[in-house]
Amino acid sequence: MLKKIFSILFVFSLIAVSPIQAAEFPTKEVQIIIPWAAGGATDLIFRALAATTDKFLGKAVIVVNRPGGAGAVGYTECMQAKPDGYTLVSAITPLTILPHQVKTAFTYKNFDPVINVVSDPGMFLVRSDAPWKSLKEFLDYAKKNPDMITVGNSGAGGGVHLIALAFEKTAGVKFNHIPFAGGGPSVTALLGGHINAVSVSPPEGIEHVKAGKLKIIALFAEKRFELFPDVPTVKEQGIDFVMGQWRGLASPKGTPPDVIKKLHDAFKQGIDDPVFKKNAKDMVVNLSYLGPEAFGKLMAHDDEFYGKLVKEIKK
Amino acid sequence: MFESLQHLINGFGIAGTVQNLFYCLIGCIVGTIIGVLPGIGPIAGIALLIPATFGLNPTSAIIMLAGIYYGAMYGGSTTSILLNVPGETASVITCIDGYQMAQKGRAGPALAIVAIGSFIAGTIGIFGLVFLAPPLAEAALAFGPPEYFSLMVFGFIVLSNVTGKSLLKSLMMAIIGLIIGTIGIDPVTGNARFTFGSVSLLGGIEFVAVAIGLFGIGEVLVNVNQPSEMLDQKVLMPRLRELYPSLQDLKKSIGAILRGAVSGFGIGLVPGPAPVIATYASYMIERKVSKHPEEFGKGAIEGVAGPESANNSACQAAFIPLFVLGIPFAPPTAILLGALLIHGVNPGPLMISQHAGLFWGVVASMYIGNFMLLILNLPFVPLFANILRVPKRILLPLVILFCITGMYTVNNFVFDIWMMLLFGAMGFLMRKWAYEGAPLLLALVLGPKLEVAFRQSLMISHGDFEVFINRPISMVFLLATVIFLIGPVIWLIFKKSKKGGD
Repeated sequence: MLKKIFSILFVFSLIAVSPIQAAEFPTKEVQIIIPWAAGGATDLIFRALAATTDKFLGKAVIVVNRPGGAGAVGYTECMQAKPDGYTLVSAITPLTILPHQVKTAFTYKNFDPVINVVSDPGMFLVRSDAPWKSLKEFLDYAKKNPDMITVGNSGAGGGVHLIALAFEKTAGVKFNHIPFAGGGPSVTALLGGHINAVSVSPPEGIEHVKAGKLKIIALFAEKRFELFPDVPTVKEQGIDFVMGQWRGLASPKGTPPDVIKKLHDAFKQGIDDPVFKKNAKDMVVNLSYLGPEAFGKLMAHDDEFYGKLVKEIKK
Repeated sequence: MFESLQHLINGFGIAGTVQNLFYCLIGCIVGTIIGVLPGIGPIAGIALLIPATFGLNPTSAIIMLAGIYYGAMYGGSTTSILLNVPGETASVITCIDGYQMAQKGRAGPALAIVAIGSFIAGTIGIFGLVFLAPPLAEAALAFGPPEYFSLMVFGFIVLSNVTGKSLLKSLMMAIIGLIIGTIGIDPVTGNARFTFGSVSLLGGIEFVAVAIGLFGIGEVLVNVNQPSEMLDQKVLMPRLRELYPSLQDLKKSIGAILRGAVSGFGIGLVPGPAPVIATYASYMIERKVSKHPEEFGKGAIEGVAGPESANNSACQAAFIPLFVLGIPFAPPTAILLGALLIHGVNPGPLMISQHAGLFWGVVASMYIGNFMLLILNLPFVPLFANILRVPKRILLPLVILFCITGMYTVNNFVFDIWMMLLFGAMGFLMRKWAYEGAPLLLALVLGPKLEVAFRQSLMISHGDFEVFINRPISMVFLLATVIFLIGPVIWLIFKKSKKGGD
């Protein structure tokens, strides 16, 4: 009997160590592909995270930018990489939007979720001297004047554009959506009074809210901002609408689960590192940790949601 | 005014510490190197060095990163002049007369005048930044989509015939540039346009690939096409005394430098690829005011001095919207914005008061940095000029290698290299049939912006075209465009009728 137990344990121990690669992982540096240009919010967050994760992983984490094709170039490259955990990609909301808009070689299903790092709520900003004092006044005006309130976004079909579309559907109003090349230009146009409102996610526009030039008219978060405790969420005001953009990490489909676990554990420690926490706070991004399973569910949910939404716009 | 001066003096105290001087120097050196290398530009350079600044205090970090940006404006012209390869996008125009000067053995004066002009323009730009920043930033906000559209139309019509040769050929090239500019994701509907199902084309055609291809690779191919004896020929080498500009060169250039500095600063405040437009505008101005416009395109020193000064002051001006509004108007300042954020500094309307030390320290460091760059660059003139001693047989393959590696560093994307080679072949044919590359590049830069502004304006106005003439700033630009187009015709008729009357 004892012999039998021992032999079973022996077999198990063999199985446990059999993926030698995993036991030794990582033997070389891990690379994160950012499908956007250097200097954007996604790039900055993962560069900061890479800097604090190095020591927990035991090997360097290198950030490489592969911009182009609205993210398609970087995602395609990661998808084609060996699923050994040495090539990761920053999985952010557009990964679940782009495949519905243009023909791409990938969907979110071509990637294994590793960890979610950040989740920023969407919000609408208006000028402080705008005629609307509250969300109610804003929506009442929109109801009476359909298609008249101009709402800027950071790019057609991008995250904040779709958030604005989803919000107008929920609230039963119609805005006039104006696309800009990024959050900066759309906020500038609002400051100059060329549009009425803008759909953004932090840190875009936050400084102008602090300075009193702009105000948050609608906040699509679960709870209020620490920075602006007086601004209620739309949910508090009776509109059940919570939406934002997430930023996490994924690896090519087929990465061994124990490798993902190792990566997850190291990045989790990196997120909890006080240095990273301070960096994130300075950048006004909202840390929102999710493990592989929960992150995968989030991606699946949003993919379905955006798929429907994009189809409706295209009609 | 005096308050600003007092702040600036405090800023010099901050920038003058040994640590900050050191980082300023590093930034300037890296910037110069990045500028000299074709392909890799200030954007990539700053992005690569951001992680290296994590351990620094914010002021030192921004001093170094800003140094890379304006340092690149000094170095960018080196390869334009020597090899006809634009080192970065704001040095495309310098290829025209700079390269001709080098072919005539005057590479030295061309390189030196760039350093001197950049220094003077940089200084003027910094003073503009110190005294005019807040009001100018507010003024920039008056530009909405309709104003922007009209400004782009004005720039497009006025600048596309920048070299003043055949207007018809220039417009043909500009239209090709506009067409190339439509490739990629439609900015309004998000649909893919003219990508033929290729993922690589979704992001559009990389400007750098077109610029290096048309100028650099095209020039190499033109050389290769010559009889082989020509390849052993060296470029006329100057004597040592002629390495630096003569008094006459300086006299000719000073007006160009000052005009370039002022116009560049103004254009630098406008959102978009200001340094590129500033160089075109300056070249155009110089050709118009020159008493001998026929020298342009054949090695006129003003055609180098003006644009190279303009891109420097435009680059200083680009800091104003960044620091005052927290909004980057130009791509390199977008990277700097990221760097500021990561150091816990949120640029915006409150920045100058909340982070006075950082703001004035960085401004003061720019002045010190410009001086360092002048000192750094002048001694290199003979060294760089000597590159032309290398026989073409050896130099040309090296240029190709240089272009390919440079192109790869922009996006780490092999597809861009193929694009560059394709445009190289096109550049060769264009040269053979005397078509100019400059209007094509200008259209490629302005076209997409023009389209977006046009469609945004009409979306805001619900399809009403009056939006362009109802708004005063927009109307002024459109009117100026009309005057520019029909003015010469009317003038001609007027002159003729006068003659007829005699």
